[in-house]
Amino acid sequence: MREVGGMIPLLLLLISTPHTEGTRYSLPGKPALTRCRSPEKETFTCWWEPGSDGGLPTTYALYYRKENSETVHECPDYRTAGKNSCFFNKNDTSIWVNYNITVVATNSLGSTFSDPVDVDVVYIVKPNPPEKVAVTVLEDKGWPFLRVSWEPPHKADTRSGWITLIYELRVKLEKEDEWEVHLAGQQKMFNIFSLRSGGTYLIQVRCKPDHGFWSEWSSTSYTEVPDYFQRERSVWIL
Amino acid sequence: CPDAQSRCDVLPLANLFDRLIQHSARMHGFSNDLHSQFELYFWPPRNQVGRVSRNCHTSTILTPNGKDNAQRMAQEELTEVILKLLVAWRDPLQHFHQNMAHHHDFSHSSFNKSLEMSNMVRELRKGVQKVVEKMQMLGMMSNSISSVASPEALLPSDGAEWQLMKDYDLLYCFRRDSNKVQNYLKILKCRIVPQHGC
Repeated sequence: MREVGGMIPLLLLLISTPHTEGTRYSLPGKPALTRCRSPEKETFTCWWEPGSDGGLPTTYALYYRKENSETVHECPDYRTAGKNSCFFNKNDTSIWVNYNITVVATNSLGSTFSDPVDVDVVYIVKPNPPEKVAVTVLEDKGWPFLRVSWEPPHKADTRSGWITLIYELRVKLEKEDEWEVHLAGQQKMFNIFSLRSGGTYLIQVRCKPDHGFWSEWSSTSYTEVPDYFQRERSVWIL
Repeated sequence: CPDAQSRCDVLPLANLFDRLIQHSARMHGFSNDLHSQFELYFWPPRNQVGRVSRNCHTSTILTPNGKDNAQRMAQEELTEVILKLLVAWRDPLQHFHQNMAHHHDFSHSSFNKSLEMSNMVRELRKGVQKVVEKMQMLGMMSNSISSVASPEALLPSDGAEWQLMKDYDLLYCFRRDSNKVQNYLKILKCRIVPQHGC
């Protein structure tokens, strides 16, 4: 009996919903801050997802307050990082300081605030991928090996010690599915001796700061390794 | 340095810096681990952490909070900032470690980490003092850091403000300060011995 009773309010609810949809305009839906990232510990960007627009033209503004300060600032630059983003340049970026960030969606009926997010730039560093990845095929006692070298992403100032990067590289033969991964530490050069046959090798490199996230992989470097192995085997058959 | 003093003298400055940096990285690592443990056990939902008004007892120490600021500082000043931070954490970390004994939620390894942190902050301070002395001897740094010999002179004047702080807040502040120390040491190293891995 109790269960049947429970159905009635549900039915009423279903019947009544078309009426609420009859109101065409509403406050903007709640926007959400989705991501903040610094590529080099000197600048950063935050992105947000807009909520529903409530059927009216809606504008978005990002406000932030720095730790131990009462002053609320508006986003200094909505353009540089594209749509629904705010870019903080060098002068607007401090590290070891929390930024309390909120996005506000506004239409003619009023405003809706996102949940605030706290960000310390030190912990949101994700560098750009390493650059100038170069691969050469060298020989050691008649066996080939790959020498991979690269440079840090040009935006990251590793020379001053402000940011330290470690590197990882991965390699595979074109026809293989699995990558072989090597951690290179802070070196900017790595030799791969584990080649098993000739063919086209794919190589990618990525980097990570000490307290942050791995970059994307660099674009693939393709390297042709001649078929030393075939020759070697034929000697054995003879 | 277990060997004869003369062998220590030839250890290049770059190695000394590398060891200090490694040491500070480990120290920061411990504070990170403990901090995430605290976050697991206590209230603060991740995105509300900063809402708590958290005034670190070291906030009176002026520290550069950007690359350009840090680079503009003379190496003597930057060294003094590092020493000030390290000295300011000596007593609070000891206190924190004693408090950890009362938190039954934490494992033995967390307890040990808090002890390690407390020891490391002292060792690191001694290490930095050694480097300073060495550089002053080599004429690479002026003798303006007079307070190196007596670290008490570097303590913040409002002394024991940290005693009013909650353990979680202490840890939060130490995590930040140990990261600063690590970063400033790297800057110093790259300024003083740039040819070694910078």
